[in-house]
Formats: sequence, C-alpha cells, structure tokens
Amino acid sequence: MNLETELRALTIDWPQTPHLELALAHRRRRRWPIAVAIAVAAIAAALAVPESRGAILRFFHLGGATIQVVDTLPHADERPLTAGLGPAISTASAKRVIPRLLLPPIDPSPPIHYTPGRIVSIVFEHAGHPVLLSEFPGGAVYLKKLASGGSQVDPAPVDGAPGLFISGRRHVTFFAGQSPRLAGNVLLWSVGGATYRLEGPNLTRDSAIELAQSLRRG
Amino acid sequence: MEGRPQNERELALRAQRGDARAYEELVRPHQEIAFRVAYVITRNAADAEDATQDGLVKAWRALGRFRTSEPVRPWILQIVANEARNRRRSAGRREQLALRAANVSGEAAPSPEDATLDADERARLLAALEQLPADAREVLACRYLLQLSEEETAAALDVARGTVKSRSARALDRLRETYE
Repeated sequence: MNLETELRALTIDWPQTPHLELALAHRRRRRWPIAVAIAVAAIAAALAVPESRGAILRFFHLGGATIQVVDTLPHADERPLTAGLGPAISTASAKRVIPRLLLPPIDPSPPIHYTPGRIVSIVFEHAGHPVLLSEFPGGAVYLKKLASGGSQVDPAPVDGAPGLFISGRRHVTFFAGQSPRLAGNVLLWSVGGATYRLEGPNLTRDSAIELAQSLRRG
Repeated sequence: MEGRPQNERELALRAQRGDARAYEELVRPHQEIAFRVAYVITRNAADAEDATQDGLVKAWRALGRFRTSEPVRPWILQIVANEARNRRRSAGRREQLALRAANVSGEAAPSPEDATLDADERARLLAALEQLPADAREVLACRYLLQLSEEETAAALDVARGTVKSRSARALDRLRETYE
C-alpha cells in the first residue's frame, strides 16, 4: 500500500462538530443597510448642523456602542432577553472573545452564550428579575441603539469608567448580526477595551451601577 | 469532488435575496467539513468552532459576491479557513492538539486499508505527519485526511491549484523520509 493510500485510509478522531447557531433565522439583510443609512445620515447631519433638531436629536459613542436619539423609532420586535443569544460556550472560550470577561456575582455562574459578531451574553436573576449582561469588544461598532425623545440618556460612570444609562420610553437595539428589538432600561459602560451592557426591566440608574460594580472578573 | 446538489443554486439565489433559512440549508451540509478544515489550521476545537461560526456569518454577509454558477463548498471553506488563519495568528501560546487516529475497534467501521494498518503503524504515520511544517501538514490533511479536491484545498489554503500539486508532492516526499 503506498503512502497516499495509507493517508487516505486513516480514520481520524476528529473533535465533535459543534451545533452552530447562526442566528440568521429571522434576520432580513435589508435591515442593516437601513440602519447604516440612518447612521450615515445622522453623522452627516450632526457634522453639517451641530445644533440640528431634525431627525437626529443627539448622538453618543461609547466603546463599541453608538446611541442615536431620533424623532421616530423604526419598527422592532418584542423579544425576551433570552432570545437569540446563541450556543453556550466555556468561560475559556468567552475569555478569548472578551479577555476582561465579567461574570454575575453568583456562584455557579449561569451559562455564557456566544452570538456571531463576537458578543458574549449571560442572563441571570437579580432582585427577582431577569437581567441580561452583554459584553463585546470596544474597537468597532457592535451595537447601535436608537432612542426617541421619550428616552433619557444620563451619564452613569462605573468605577470611574465612562458609562451611560438609557431609561424612560423603550428604545430600539441593533446588535451586529441580529434583527432589531425593543429594549428597556440599559446601562452601558466601557473599560479595558471592552464594552458592557446591562439590561433589565427593573433596573434604575443607581441599581444598575451597583450591579455593574458587583460583577466579578472571569 | 462530490456532485453538486441540484437545488444548491436555487438555495443560493434565495439566500442572496435575503432568505436566511435558505442560507442555513445551503451551508448545513458543509458545516462539518468546514469545522474540520478550521481544526486542521487552528489545532484547537474552541478556535475552530469560533472560526467556523464567524466564517459562516461572514459568508452570509458576503453572499452578494458569490457566483451562483459555482459550487458553494470551496467558497465556504475559503472564508472559514481564512477566519481560522486569523485566529491562529492571534492565538499566541494557546494549547494546540495533535491529530489522533480513531479507535477503529469501536463502532465506526474502518476502511479495509485502515484495518490493514495496526494501531502502532497508524500512530507512527500520524506522528510523522505531525512533524511536518505547517504548510506541508495542512496540504496533506486537506487532500488525504479530509479528502478535499485540489480546487477545495486551494480555496482552503488560499493558494493556486498548481501550488497544491507541488506542495503535496514535496510534503509526501518529506513524510516518506520520516515514516518509511
């Protein structure tokens, strides 16, 4: 038997092929260009008319997130916090995405999920209500939020790191690679090259900051 | 190379129109081979999983550039393998695993040729393969362990088909020196 035949005949113990959750099932590709168009229009408007009170009312950047306050929100679905989080991954795998991984202050830690687009998510219970912790790199825009004039955006530093708290009327969240959804009160902060997001229906600015400060390093 | 499924072009066209379910159906038959190609490159299952996942999402976003007259498998392998190389570059000293021979006495029936190689010979052949430089090891893994076509191997390794031929021949020579 020649070498090529021997190689071809070898049976390799391959690692099991994982179930890959592509999170595309309900995604419509046309929505991203709309979002991008809004973002481009917003940047152009903000640069041309700094005090503009037209379609774009305010504009914030924080780490890998952009927040635009607009007159009219686009359509978005109502979905539970646990929807579309992707498959569970190990803490080691999550740390490869987010080296400065933060975990809930509970033991054992709930499952860590990974969504294409390098977003790590953990849902856990806090004060009797579900909270979604999302973590993503800070270098590019991984998250866009559109808030109407009915939403309030306040500074909310976490341990000295820059942060924003969005409250009031619900806003629309665009995570890269996912369809938009409605979101409630959210704390966003950025530190060490990563951006973090806490979302929960009962979070206040102070309780969200307190919870953020209680997260432990993974 | 395997024959192209008759409905692959139709699925690709639907996916290009934004049908995510058609895209999932289009790539599902190729996920396992894409994962294994990523594993050959990264030599780490977690990195291979991430590379496959992100590669398939990138392929979805780049679907507008895919020519539906072409088979989808080389295109998928090219994008996933590229993602795997990016991860390998950033992996640093992350744990890497050697390929292992399956236990052919288990449930999976070995090929007749495999059955003629005893466990020691299989281990020795794989050990010799592991000693090759990465370029040589990868081309042999793609061509013979994964049984990719030259076209698919060229896509996965991001080289010309002629390079696959010449690199395979040189790699076999080196393997022969070590093994035989």
